[in-house]
Amino acid sequence: MGTQILQISTYLPHKVLSNQELSTEFNRWEPEKIENKLGVKERHVSGNTETAADLAYNAAIKVLETFDKEKIDMLILCTQSPDYFLPTTACVLQERLSLRTDIGAFDFNLGCSGYIYGLAMAKSFINTNIAKNVLLITAETYTKHINPNDLANRTIFGDAAAATIIDQSDSEHIFEFVLGTDGKGKDNLIVPNGCFRNKYEINPVIKVTNAGDKYTDNDLFMNGPEIFNFTIEKVPVVVNKCLEKNFLTIDDIDYFVFHQANKFMIEYLRKKIRIPKEKFYNNLLETGNTVSSTIPIAISDLIKNKVIAKGSKVLLCGFGVGYSWGAVIIEL
Amino acid sequence: MKKKDFIQKLAEYCEFENTKLAIDTPLKSIEGYDSLAIMSMIAFIDENFNVKVSDKEIESLTDLNSLIELIGEEKFD
Repeated sequence: MGTQILQISTYLPHKVLSNQELSTEFNRWEPEKIENKLGVKERHVSGNTETAADLAYNAAIKVLETFDKEKIDMLILCTQSPDYFLPTTACVLQERLSLRTDIGAFDFNLGCSGYIYGLAMAKSFINTNIAKNVLLITAETYTKHINPNDLANRTIFGDAAAATIIDQSDSEHIFEFVLGTDGKGKDNLIVPNGCFRNKYEINPVIKVTNAGDKYTDNDLFMNGPEIFNFTIEKVPVVVNKCLEKNFLTIDDIDYFVFHQANKFMIEYLRKKIRIPKEKFYNNLLETGNTVSSTIPIAISDLIKNKVIAKGSKVLLCGFGVGYSWGAVIIEL
Repeated sequence: MKKKDFIQKLAEYCEFENTKLAIDTPLKSIEGYDSLAIMSMIAFIDENFNVKVSDKEIESLTDLNSLIELIGEEKFD
């Protein structure tokens, strides 16, 4: 017995923000420059009253169109944009989705590594007979954390959700995991204010980056160079460890799906790890970096376009805020 | 790598718009020296010299000479 990813649905909010609009507003970066370098042409932005839970709900109802929701016996939501401090957003979603009440439901707070951790938990729950059919949702609205005057982050991030059903199968399709954490990077991708370490400030000090972007401690801050350094140091090691742990080589893998941070970074990682271009996903053109949803969006896109199919072995790797990272190999 | 080649290759890799750079051109005066270019610069130095430059080190750079010093004079011909 084992586990498998049965199906994935994705959801993007309707409002679209194009490079052209950002270029007009800030008069700094040409739309083509953003597209060529970061690989983003447009990103979807949640509405003022639209939360990550709403995106999660919409992704979930799509995946439940073809899967009996009475069978769902565990709901896991990955988000860093919850509706409330408490209760847990997953509990709210259980009711909204009319799922059974004799099931587990909880959130976990991770970013770009979240999908990998979600799969690890889903596999564990099923293989220990705690659950049979897990609904794993990743939903994020980073755009709400970003200062409107911060061009760099508004360019990179977009909002999205993805809903994945993981169920039992005759053999194991979710192979061995490699997970990792290094909290020394906590200050390099952070929203400092709003919880209890630093409360939300009514009149925060406005900070300005070298590039002229403005933000406060109430907003998302990303130290781009340090995040890039962490990534190019850690990801090649994690990918190789994951291959070793599964007794597989790059040649055995049909496709590689990394967290879609930005086009340049992902392409640099591909070259550094020596993964053939034709087996490597690099597409955030119409979504931007959607944090924990980039990997399920990519898998869904690859299945839809018949690039991967039943039997394909795919290596997934997520990395970012925390620092936190993880990798796994799945067989469709 | 010769320093002259380094400057030229770096300028191309980072897509600096004015590629007529001198070793003492102030970095902040270079057209296109922004966060995207810095990301490329980190990649270029990692790829060619296997050297990691931190955010703080980048902040302290004045010109390409200071970058060469950071990478290590001994790594240049």
